[in-house]
Amino acid sequence: MSPKALWQPDFERLVDEHQSMVFSLAWRMTADRGLAEEIAQDVFLELDRHMNKIESPEHALFWLRRVAMSRSADALRRRRVRGVDLWVEIEENHGAMAEERSSPLGARLEQLLTTLPEPQRAALVLRYQEDMSPDEIAKTLESPVATVKSNLQRGLKSLRAKAESHLREFVRAEKSMGGA
Amino acid sequence: MDEFESKLGQAMVRRPAPPSLKRRILDQRNRRRTERLHGRMVLWQRLAACLVLAAAVGGGFAWHHVQEERKGEAARQQVLTALRITSRALNELNTRLAAKRRDQEQ
Repeated sequence: MSPKALWQPDFERLVDEHQSMVFSLAWRMTADRGLAEEIAQDVFLELDRHMNKIESPEHALFWLRRVAMSRSADALRRRRVRGVDLWVEIEENHGAMAEERSSPLGARLEQLLTTLPEPQRAALVLRYQEDMSPDEIAKTLESPVATVKSNLQRGLKSLRAKAESHLREFVRAEKSMGGA
Repeated sequence: MDEFESKLGQAMVRRPAPPSLKRRILDQRNRRRTERLHGRMVLWQRLAACLVLAAAVGGGFAWHHVQEERKGEAARQQVLTALRITSRALNELNTRLAAKRRDQEQ
């Protein structure tokens, strides 16, 4: 009998293992802690309804990433339709988000990430938070690999341009602190 | 991967989920399950009520049909009896007439 056939999904264990991943994806996509918690909750309740279709731990991980990204995109779309000034809100929420970070550079990079268009942000979050390859990202986002690669390149270029001066300052500061 | 990308990777570590998230998910899950179970029970109750009603209506129709058939059969038997009596009376009358005609001829 194959290991897949032996595997029985345990909902509580899946929540334990993946809650931080789902929550982080939702938070980085929406930049709103409360909304991210709601999304994470919805994603796991959706998982509970689809438990009989989950075949393996890898499938569960793939499924959770895909649904978390699509729910986050839906939430952003709903907010845009409602006419909320998302970027102002993101800036405000990120202020709080940034305070929790230990590294100010990391906080700045995350803040800059939220200024990118949604497809570029999604690609970068999956690439750098989840360490996924462009092929895996394309499967998760259900978009062509070429589009994902282009989003990654554009997003990274844009982020690099925005962060360049800031990053240089911090790298210099870190080096000088390390040297001292 | 250059320095910028490695910094980005460091900045993008997963954040710990709020400690209450799991409890809220499990609570919500239990609530939904209870609601679903209740909904299913109501559905079965309705189905059972529909079946009982359908059986009662069907039984009523069947009983009515049997009663009608029984009445029809009784009416048929009565007609047959009446015809039998009539036939016997006519036969008797015929026999008498024939006897009377024979007497007149003699």
